[in-house]
Amino acid sequence: MRQPLPLATWHAGRMTSTLEETRVGTGADPRLLSASDVPWVTLVWDDPVNLMSYVSYVFRSYFGFGVREAERLMMQVHTGGKAVVATGSREEMERHVVAMHDYGLWATVAKADE
Amino acid sequence: MTPFRRRREGLRLTLGGHERSVLRDLVEQLVAVVSGGDQDDPAVARLLPTGYADDAEAAEEFRRFTSDDLVERKLHNARLVLAALDPGAGEEPVLDDAAQQSWLRTLTDLRLTIGARLGVTAEGFPPGDDPQVLVLQDVYDWLGYVQESLVRSLR
Repeated sequence: MRQPLPLATWHAGRMTSTLEETRVGTGADPRLLSASDVPWVTLVWDDPVNLMSYVSYVFRSYFGFGVREAERLMMQVHTGGKAVVATGSREEMERHVVAMHDYGLWATVAKADE
Repeated sequence: MTPFRRRREGLRLTLGGHERSVLRDLVEQLVAVVSGGDQDDPAVARLLPTGYADDAEAAEEFRRFTSDDLVERKLHNARLVLAALDPGAGEEPVLDDAAQQSWLRTLTDLRLTIGARLGVTAEGFPPGDDPQVLVLQDVYDWLGYVQESLVRSLR
């Protein structure tokens, strides 16, 4: 169950519509993320059950991340205990958190400065 | 036996008959746990986790507005899995995209539930030699194999 992950078969066409209205990930331009208009984040927490390949799959298929970014965030969850996977309005973050719970990942909404 | 096979017409369920009946039994138990909705049950708490880590009021409001739908979707996923596992579904039923997504989520919910029952931590299973617990540990590992196989077949 620990085989290396095939890294080149994800297609950008599967990107979800949620991406069109939400800046996702931690690489966004900080000038567009001033505290006043986008003060919320979606955090995904590490858990001892979910497979690394599955977490990475969820990040790719739901948020539309490329393979490398999905793997990077998955490893951040795994080794750091949690990772910010999206930034935006509170409603958007709550939608993401519900979607993560739907996948069985544990995610929470938090203020960006917490 | 390989749990799934990618064919021209779609993803086929190729689990053996015995494995299907084990899985059917487990999914039926999952339906009972999810429908029961006992918040004091650690498995339920993990399946329907809090949406706010440090804000009890926001967490309660979030739960009130999202929990029923989440439960309904989990039950819907479980029903789609049970439909494919039904002997009447045929030898190697084809799982369409919606069914594949339901399988992913239900296998995850099952592992979360069994993981909570077994007390799985980052270090793995707690020590012990209760035969029933050891069987459940095997089931948990097997479900991980089935899940991994499904994730790989979706790439």
